[in-house]
Amino acid sequence: MNKKIISGFAIAASAALTFGVVASVPASAAVKEVTIAYQGPLTGDAAQTGIDEVNAVKYALKKYNDTKPAVKINLVTIDDQGAGAVALTVAPGAAANKKIIAIVGPAFSGATISSLPYYKAARLPMISPSATNVTLTDKKSVNYGYPVFHRVPSTDAFQGPALAKWAVQNQKSPKVYVVDDKSPYGTGLASFVKKALASGTLGGSDSTPDDTKDFAATISKVKSTDSNVVIYTGYYAQAAILLNQLRAAGFKGDFAAGDGVMSQSFIDGAGKNAEGALLVAPTIPLSVGNPTMEADYVKVMGAASGEYSAETITITNLFIEAVKSGVSTRSAMLNFINGYKGLTAVGTKLSFDRNGDNNGAAAIGGFIVKGGKTVAIEVVK
Amino acid sequence: MINLRDKGAEFWERSNRPVRVLTVFAILAVIAALPYAGNSFLQTPIAAFDAVLVYPMGMFILMALGLNVVVGKSGMLDLGYVAFFAVGAYTMALLSTHTGLNTWEIMPIGIIAAMIAGVLLAIPTLRLRGDYLAIVTLGFGEIVRVSALNSESIGGALGIAGIPFPPGLGFEYQLLDQKYFYWTILVMILLVIWVIRRLTVRRPGRAWESIRQDEDAAELMGVSTYKYKIWAFVFGAAIGGGAGVFYASRSMVIAPDNFTLNTSILILACVVFGGMGNIWGVIVGAAILGYLPDRFRFLSDARLLLFGLVLVIFMNLRPEGILPRKKREKAIVKKGSGATL
Amino acid sequence: MFDTLIHQFWSLTYSGIALGFIYVLIAMGYTMVYGVLRMINFANSEIFTVGAFATMIVSKYVFDFSAEMIPPSNAKLFLVIICCLAASMLVSGLLAFLVELVAYRHLRNRTSNRIAPLISAIGIGIVISEVVRILTRARTQFSPNVVPKKALFTFQGAEIRLDNTVTIFAGLALFIILERFIKLSRLGKGIRAVSMDEDSAKLMGVNLNRVISLTFILGGLMTGAAGFFYVNVYENVKYNMGFSLGLAAFTAAVIGGIGNIRGAFFGGIALGLVEIYASAIVGTQWKPVTVFIILILILLFRPNGIFGEAIQKTRV
Repeated sequence: MNKKIISGFAIAASAALTFGVVASVPASAAVKEVTIAYQGPLTGDAAQTGIDEVNAVKYALKKYNDTKPAVKINLVTIDDQGAGAVALTVAPGAAANKKIIAIVGPAFSGATISSLPYYKAARLPMISPSATNVTLTDKKSVNYGYPVFHRVPSTDAFQGPALAKWAVQNQKSPKVYVVDDKSPYGTGLASFVKKALASGTLGGSDSTPDDTKDFAATISKVKSTDSNVVIYTGYYAQAAILLNQLRAAGFKGDFAAGDGVMSQSFIDGAGKNAEGALLVAPTIPLSVGNPTMEADYVKVMGAASGEYSAETITITNLFIEAVKSGVSTRSAMLNFINGYKGLTAVGTKLSFDRNGDNNGAAAIGGFIVKGGKTVAIEVVK
Repeated sequence: MINLRDKGAEFWERSNRPVRVLTVFAILAVIAALPYAGNSFLQTPIAAFDAVLVYPMGMFILMALGLNVVVGKSGMLDLGYVAFFAVGAYTMALLSTHTGLNTWEIMPIGIIAAMIAGVLLAIPTLRLRGDYLAIVTLGFGEIVRVSALNSESIGGALGIAGIPFPPGLGFEYQLLDQKYFYWTILVMILLVIWVIRRLTVRRPGRAWESIRQDEDAAELMGVSTYKYKIWAFVFGAAIGGGAGVFYASRSMVIAPDNFTLNTSILILACVVFGGMGNIWGVIVGAAILGYLPDRFRFLSDARLLLFGLVLVIFMNLRPEGILPRKKREKAIVKKGSGATL
Repeated sequence: MFDTLIHQFWSLTYSGIALGFIYVLIAMGYTMVYGVLRMINFANSEIFTVGAFATMIVSKYVFDFSAEMIPPSNAKLFLVIICCLAASMLVSGLLAFLVELVAYRHLRNRTSNRIAPLISAIGIGIVISEVVRILTRARTQFSPNVVPKKALFTFQGAEIRLDNTVTIFAGLALFIILERFIKLSRLGKGIRAVSMDEDSAKLMGVNLNRVISLTFILGGLMTGAAGFFYVNVYENVKYNMGFSLGLAAFTAAVIGGIGNIRGAFFGGIALGLVEIYASAIVGTQWKPVTVFIILILILLFRPNGIFGEAIQKTRV
């Protein structure tokens, strides 16, 4: 036993040393600089969204910092795994970290709701590239993010009806089956889709939590209701699994989904089954809206941009402009954002209303998967 | 045989009253001063240290103490402990947003709600033996979480937001400086320790101990094992419920994904890691396992991997936990008997 | 509410049985270990995950399967199936052996505390799934199906698909082989002897460590096979896939009577059917609630599961 105690102490001592070394890295630096943060899922099930976004932030910051500016901008990444429970443990830290003057994010609505109280109290301004839940900018909701919360994309209240409309375009007498994934995003969007469907076209609905592997029951319901359109409100990986099983079971109708599925991973996963899938998203991909920047992005980052890259670059550029104009505190940043009038990376207008919504929010884009790629077709009105 | 637990006990036995009082106060002072230690090597990257002290550390300690009564003291394997935490949290969330009651008024209601949930679960299931109990409690935890997730009337997947802070008691609870929350939870922990120690030396504690060592023998000796098992369960549930009420009040937002099976398993790991049955061990275990993942945040990707390794290595080095229970309390082993843990 | 069930009964039943056989095989990993050690092998779900990854890797990277390719000839297909299945089984069997060595053996000899091995097994499980997560960057990996998903014939409106059929028959064959092995072989007798009474078995000259290792390996082989069938039917793998499936398989083992391999067989198929029917009747989101309520009800009336405990017959 004695030996074990000694070895235990040895472990503790070496651990303390390691911590000590790590903690003693000097925090202050001579160069004048400000820090912004990115918050989103960098690990966990939804990591792809976060990694795409954080790369877009890094791209914009690299372009700026390479110009040897007077004030350098640093980036802190905050991993909330896209989950409210995790956001609760990181948000107080970000709020208390006085060096952070603005946040790009949070990426997901659920994590935003959990983080908001802290950022409101710390008056830490944030602009999200992808949190589309309506309650965040709804004055009557407890989740109301005023004054700190802003976002670039338009909300589920616009996306839902657009999805409902876009999904039925190929069917003369559509019968729609709606499947959501039980996430805050999926259930929210599904309820707007159901509301917007023309009466009598809703065949039925099911909720399949995101650890569902076997969709046999859901598929049986699609078949027994004779639905010819399936709308899935959830994320890309599950969407591909569902679509593959639908096609294997002989479903011949259309498959439609919202922005959570707008990902090359969906097409890679579903392969030829993805052909003809109808997608909508409150975003114009960088590759479509600004091919020149996309080409430069590929050159700098070594990979194509992702789903919300355009929004993320827009937000980062806004913060860069603010820093150029001398902003170095949270309150100055907040004023700058509220008074901002400019353009997004894809050339649409950008300014925020009192609730934090984008006045010139890009209309909902309609996409079709063709030849293994998502092709932008038109703006869904 | 030297172990830290016996060393501590020996010191305690040898000391006279003033020394004991002084020791207790010195330790308490150090622990209470922890929120001011945020700039030392203890600092957690990204997450704020004072917030980490409240959750996960403080909450884990509270819950681990409650679970310890069920698992460590009376030997029943409960894998659904988070259910009671959830019941307390949802009681707080619903009552505070619908009625105007404050946290301290809801606290007893939340505790009672969790106790009722405990009784409801215990009556049909406590006649089951060890591992069957494990799966049934696990199932109960999932039933509570999934039901909350599927009920739009209590927020569904988005959960409930806008839960108020506890009203201050001569001070105001602050969002960005969580030391008052920490001190409150410290008081709650001390209260729970006191109650558990009272119970342990009295009839229920002796009954639990006899059930843990040999349920059949205890029954033969006239201990109403079923009754005391229910009591252990309900007592554990009450602590979980109380922790849940406070958690909801501090977090202001709760959602079903705060109450997954992983939390139950993590709390169980705290109990075993620290030393089942010994409240000091459980506290140390919960504090370490609550702290480590946030301390290792700078490893980002590898931090859970490291957490798993720590569990494996430490369980192999110290299978009885960091501070195991006293020798005389250890059960006489009957190999293959389901009743011993 | 019951429309779907009536309308699609045979189709649902067929999928349910195929899913059930996957549960049966994973449940072997739990029930064998429990029968011998009286411990829940919490790392079994990760053993399953690794088995499923093995099939994905062999088919995708060794044989260059892809979703767009022309299905190969029967002889080649058969070779690929055998290789994938063997790879999954071997990798999982080996992993199960290592899990026993690292998480259980040392602790088994040192402590009577029955929860300590549980925690160290959970620790191993975390390590395995985190390694897989980091290697795959947490993304779902899609695997081309090896067994083509063509319909063999239609029965009462339900398409009988090749992939489900292979799962059912091969699963049944593996189960029968295992059952016979435990019943008839010398090593199988050793397993039964230890499960009845460890001390007496030791006195009778049974090599305890060898028997326990063998039990883990056998359980791992079965769990690995389940990984192969899973990939064939569902075509995807992910680092945390084992969690929900392992939980379901463990539930199946408890329903049948944990420690009893015939019980696990029954429990697995029953659970597969119950899950699919419940999803069809009350909605997929209520599936776990329905399953656990049924489990609690069963245990109320049969506290040792439907078939009772122990690998063969009863334990004293």
